[in-house]
Amino acid sequence: MRKTLLLGFTLLLLITSQVFAQTEVTISGKVSDRKGNPIPGASVYVKGNTSIGIATDADGNYSLKVPAGSTLVVTALDYITQEIVVGNRTFISTTLEDDKIEDIIVTGYRTETKREITGAITQIKGDVIQNLPMQSFDRAIQGRMAGVLVQGNSGIPGAPITVRIRGTGSLLAGNDPLFIVDGVQLNNRNDGFSTGANPLAFLNPNDIESIEVLQDAAAASIYGSQAANGVILITTKRGKAGKAKINFNYYRGFVEPIAQLPILSSQQYRVVRMEALANQAAASGGAPLNVLGTYMSEIRFNGTIDQLDLQPSFNWQNENFQYGNIDNYEASVSGGADRLDYYVSGSFNRQDGNTRNVDFQRGTFKANIGYQATNRFRLETNLNLSTFVQNAPFTQAVGNFLGDGNFSSPLILPMNPIYLSDGSFNGVPPNNIIGLLNQNVIANYAFNKANDVTSQAVANITGSYEIAKGLTFRSFFGIDFRTNNGRQYRDPRTQDAFNRQGLLQETSERNVNWLTTQTLNYTKTFSQKHTINALFGAEFRQEVYQGINLGVDFFPTPDFTYADAGANPLFTGGFWTSFKRAGTFANVKYDFDRKYILSATMRYDGSSRFGVNNRWGVFPSISGAWLISEENFLKGNNLLSELKLRASWGQTGNDQIGNFVARGLFGAGGIAYAGQGGIRPTVLNNPDLSWEINETSNLALDFGLFKNRIQGSVDAFIRTTKDLLLNRPLPITSGFGAITQNVGEVQNRGIGFNLRTINVDSKDGFRWTTDFNITFIRNEVTRLFDDLKVLPGNTGVRVGHPIGTIFTTEYIGVNPASGRPMFRDRNGNIIYAPIFANDARVVGDGFAEWYGGFTNTFSYKGFELAGFFQYEFGRDAFNSLGSFMFENGGRPFNSDLRIFEDRWQVPGQMTYVPRPFNGNTEPGGAANVGGSRTLGDASYIRLKQLTLAYTFQPNALERIKMTNVRVYVQAINLLTFTKWQGFDPEFVGGNNNVVPQSRQYTVGIQFGF
Amino acid sequence: MKKRVLNILLAFFAISSFYSCNNLLDVKPRTAVDAATALTNEVGLRAALRGAYDRLQSTDLYGSSQIAFAEALSDNGRGRLANGASTNSGRLSAQLQSIIGAHMVGWSQYYLLINQLNLILEATPKVTDLSPAVRNSIEAQALFLRALAYHDLVKTYAYDPGVEVAANDRGGVPLVLTGVLDAAQVTFPARAPVQEVYDQIYKDLDEATAKLANAETIPAPAFANAAAVNALYSRVALYRRDYTTALAKGNAALLAGAPPIVASTSYTASWRQQVHPESIFELPFTTPENIGVNVSLQSYFTSTVAGQPNTVTGGFGDLVINDIYGNQLFTAFNTNPPGFSGLVDQRSTLIAPGAVFRGNSVLRELTKFYGKNGQINLDNIPLIRTPEVILNIAEAQYYLGDEAGANTNLKRILDARYTLGGSAVSLTFNYTGLALLNEILRQRRLELAFEGHRFYDLKRNGENIPRPGGLPVLQYTDIRILAPIPQGDLDANPNLVQNAGY
Repeated sequence: MRKTLLLGFTLLLLITSQVFAQTEVTISGKVSDRKGNPIPGASVYVKGNTSIGIATDADGNYSLKVPAGSTLVVTALDYITQEIVVGNRTFISTTLEDDKIEDIIVTGYRTETKREITGAITQIKGDVIQNLPMQSFDRAIQGRMAGVLVQGNSGIPGAPITVRIRGTGSLLAGNDPLFIVDGVQLNNRNDGFSTGANPLAFLNPNDIESIEVLQDAAAASIYGSQAANGVILITTKRGKAGKAKINFNYYRGFVEPIAQLPILSSQQYRVVRMEALANQAAASGGAPLNVLGTYMSEIRFNGTIDQLDLQPSFNWQNENFQYGNIDNYEASVSGGADRLDYYVSGSFNRQDGNTRNVDFQRGTFKANIGYQATNRFRLETNLNLSTFVQNAPFTQAVGNFLGDGNFSSPLILPMNPIYLSDGSFNGVPPNNIIGLLNQNVIANYAFNKANDVTSQAVANITGSYEIAKGLTFRSFFGIDFRTNNGRQYRDPRTQDAFNRQGLLQETSERNVNWLTTQTLNYTKTFSQKHTINALFGAEFRQEVYQGINLGVDFFPTPDFTYADAGANPLFTGGFWTSFKRAGTFANVKYDFDRKYILSATMRYDGSSRFGVNNRWGVFPSISGAWLISEENFLKGNNLLSELKLRASWGQTGNDQIGNFVARGLFGAGGIAYAGQGGIRPTVLNNPDLSWEINETSNLALDFGLFKNRIQGSVDAFIRTTKDLLLNRPLPITSGFGAITQNVGEVQNRGIGFNLRTINVDSKDGFRWTTDFNITFIRNEVTRLFDDLKVLPGNTGVRVGHPIGTIFTTEYIGVNPASGRPMFRDRNGNIIYAPIFANDARVVGDGFAEWYGGFTNTFSYKGFELAGFFQYEFGRDAFNSLGSFMFENGGRPFNSDLRIFEDRWQVPGQMTYVPRPFNGNTEPGGAANVGGSRTLGDASYIRLKQLTLAYTFQPNALERIKMTNVRVYVQAINLLTFTKWQGFDPEFVGGNNNVVPQSRQYTVGIQFGF
Repeated sequence: MKKRVLNILLAFFAISSFYSCNNLLDVKPRTAVDAATALTNEVGLRAALRGAYDRLQSTDLYGSSQIAFAEALSDNGRGRLANGASTNSGRLSAQLQSIIGAHMVGWSQYYLLINQLNLILEATPKVTDLSPAVRNSIEAQALFLRALAYHDLVKTYAYDPGVEVAANDRGGVPLVLTGVLDAAQVTFPARAPVQEVYDQIYKDLDEATAKLANAETIPAPAFANAAAVNALYSRVALYRRDYTTALAKGNAALLAGAPPIVASTSYTASWRQQVHPESIFELPFTTPENIGVNVSLQSYFTSTVAGQPNTVTGGFGDLVINDIYGNQLFTAFNTNPPGFSGLVDQRSTLIAPGAVFRGNSVLRELTKFYGKNGQINLDNIPLIRTPEVILNIAEAQYYLGDEAGANTNLKRILDARYTLGGSAVSLTFNYTGLALLNEILRQRRLELAFEGHRFYDLKRNGENIPRPGGLPVLQYTDIRILAPIPQGDLDANPNLVQNAGY
């Protein structure tokens, strides 16, 4: 074959050089479909002269003599006809797109058409999340897919995101899904030192072609022991055959704080604080208290009561929260010619937070290149390089939260000026400001410096070789390389570091994660109706994580902020850790007559994290689909245009535990005596430790009505986590406090519903579509060890209740006669002083019970208006900031105006807010902000995205030689509806000093040549 | 073509079957070593021994609580607030008020330490290339530490021999003498009788003594040598009311190289040196081991900074000298031994007013732990000093009927602590009967004040304990004399019985 080609080429050279006028060339090549299967019988002919033509052979190959300068037409049944300008090429292979537009879905280690899918896989296309001012794609998919719960941990740009697919299954092991970008299994651990640094922020979301979420075990079990929490596959854009496309993209905008809390003026605070002091003095029955005198000395005031009336109120929240800028620049070039296709892009993104000091800056570079080396051998490489820098809110990671403006700014006593008359900060050390919260938090922001720099390279190289017809071998090597450098400098001018004249803590870490996958894929169709697809593969992955850190204090002046200037080294540290995984896997799929599909998967997988006795396990799954609408009785039915039943069962594993928790070890960290290092046992040898098993059953229906004007799917699932990893207490007399064992069980049951409707599609071009999804989920701990009903050490884990159950004493309101807070005891009686051990009960659920989103898109002649709502209901959370904001003068700091106005004042008053009381605890009572009093409903629905765009019509652009121009304005988090009484209901963990979510407005332009 | 396919397939299967072996998944940690190989050579054993000593520095043990909590549970200290029953930081308040459950907290750390020692003691005989001097040194020190741990446990969680309250007596503490490295080795022991625990402590100390007869030189006071072993032995025997042994081992300690007691004129300076010159056994602390402002002994006991006026604030000054209730420590410092007057107790030179900002300036703080290692909150902590041994001997002699001997040893203390007109004294006295015992015990309180002894000395003598804040005297028969065993351990071990009343 090669010889013939060479000969032909030489001949051709001779002919063209010797006989100028004779301009005939021989073109050969191959025609294949998107999956790389050859298309036999495709017609290849010269445009305008059908007499020069030939049909491809059984392997899809052709050879044809054509006049120079011709244009080839390639056409085949069920495929879109393609025209190719020959130019001076002699070898032209091409890929034909399916005529019947079958959606391509990326699944484990291959792609399939949507028709073939038997498991629960959801997909969103990159254009849906295009140009959202969000730093990581996990943020952008929030509310877009049923079954996937996405929660922002904070409003810090580039902050970690919590993603839960079909609920929370694990208590001790991780609950994060496996993220895979272009085949590279990522490490999504947050290594941020000073701030939340989401490793998934390395990827510019605009480079994404599609995101697939493998939700059930049938889809995910090919990833074995890492797939228990689902798998998210990200595919980035590739070049397509054709001339180079150059695209520019720019947007800018601003960030706005969503809300400030309503707080008291100096005079209102005086009223409530004096009430609190007087109430306590009266209740304690001691000598009468000079309440006004006590109050004045407390706020260091030496004037008359009239002057108190004139005290100004300063708004610290105004200084804490701020407007910020958003800028995003991108350029990409993509295309394909001959045997080569390419996509190259670069971007710069900058976004401020809505509070001081918080920002995000990222530069990325991307190159995806494919090269068809021979007819059988294809080479691909994907390269992503990225660096992002985040300035950090000082107290997010460490430091005293009392010095953090996100906590203290609404609580600082309002009579405190922020600045002195000369413009310098009020109340900085050795002085302080009035009240219990005595740090000038704005000065803290101005002086302290903290940041994280993350640099990342995610790259792969793939070679695929067609061994025989239908049999392809694919060899894949990928790497995910990351460094993180974090710094925190506490300035000597702030309270935290005044006595030690500055404190620097710094860390430098590196994570190298590589993997290789070797797969064989075989497809064959027998006698038209039987199609067999088999996948067999092996995989190896290793990760090494290491770093060093240091701490230094006593800096000569605040101008010196690096370690060499610190006089007193405090500590140095270093660590190294690693794991390995290996596995083989196989999948066989049988498709009969495009109606009945059966698929079975098996993975044999091992992880170094487990005990030597249980390192390897088998993860099977089986699934099937019945395309009912392909049956004769439904075929061509316009009402029910599509109907497909899917069912699956399978098992996956969870190995998200520490790297060395199963191995008997002696450690040395922090162990020293008399200036010399020491060792001692740190981990109990636990050779039986194994993975958690997630067993998922899925039953689903995909449907299309009225010629697919209405399309949707319903998935019902039961996900049972068996062999749940739990720490079982050991008697400490054994030298160890607990052992991790595979005991216990958790179940998630739910229904996910996706719907897409074309509501209006009028002839004049007006179109209105709606996308809607909702998930209902119920989580339940079904078994712990030793017949325990409650997990020792965590009262929120109770058999028969969801993980994250909120268990505390129940606050039930105020005694109208006395204004005292009342609670319920275990028998339901009203009491003042509940005891946690006796009276605590289940009062709430920390996880959302139903969530989802919906989008309405209106388009008309190039105009498009899209509004996307996202919602989460049934989540209770403690308002930990609220427990301070609700004190109403119980201690010397400010309070929430709503609580102030509703407080009990006179006997008989019916209210939910107890009377103010100094110290918050009435004699013989419990703290009035305790128990469930500050438990709030964190449910919300918000207009997450509102976009108005105009795309110029192609004929208008032709004159200026452009292929596309799009302009748009966009708002993020424009409206939020919630009962939550803090800054914002979207956070994970406590909300004490969390940076709240922000509102963003952007305008942008995209244009291409 | 077919052959090529076959070859590739075969190679493929070969690779994947190679994957299936366990070695492929073996990752050796680098910041830790395998338990199986950690203790198989001399350097490993020595490192493990240092790891055991290091455990004593824990804030649950002698780094902080074993001393500070014992003082707060006794009548030596008071807090600033609520008439002496509450403290500036809130820490120690519960112990001062004898709130049920607020007690010593050493259980877990001591048993973790005991497992470390058991592992060392099991591993040492298996290391064949150790010289006898090294082997004996390592084993003797491990036995000493195990004896110390068991004694601290038994005196905290059980009644001392001779003063049992039968109704509340639940026995001693579990005796675990084999090491645990593997899940299969975990046991669920019951509490051994008190006498059995003491027998084991004696056995360990006897063995340690024997091994030290042929051992390398051990660098005291950071590491335990023969003086430390005998000194601990004399203390243990005193608690056991085995006065013959207490006397013999006390004398042995003094002969085995216990440092001499310092003269009265050097007393103040002795508490300003990094290493106390009277220390037989002392925990050294280095800069990275600074316990910090919350629970360091300096912060607990003082609020000022050494060398600075009391307008400069240092620690919290939570527990200061009792000058307010019951049998006041402050009065004791200012009371001369019977028959004397005008003597100045040099130990009172360590008393200083607290920091103005803490409201402690009218209170009396004892500055034994005062950043003597050159940094605030950084102090070496003596666990056994020579005067304790002398007082052990004197008490034993008293009970053995040797009043002359007891007077002689008491004189060694008095002469080394009192001055007259700024000069050293040589006092002449002959106390008898209860007056002698009382003065020995009074001197013990003064000498070892704020070093973690007072509560245990009251307890072993079956004494009631006065409480501040107008709270009633804590009767010796009260369940709060014994510490509660941590609930987690009771949950995990069905054979373990909680102390009465908890």
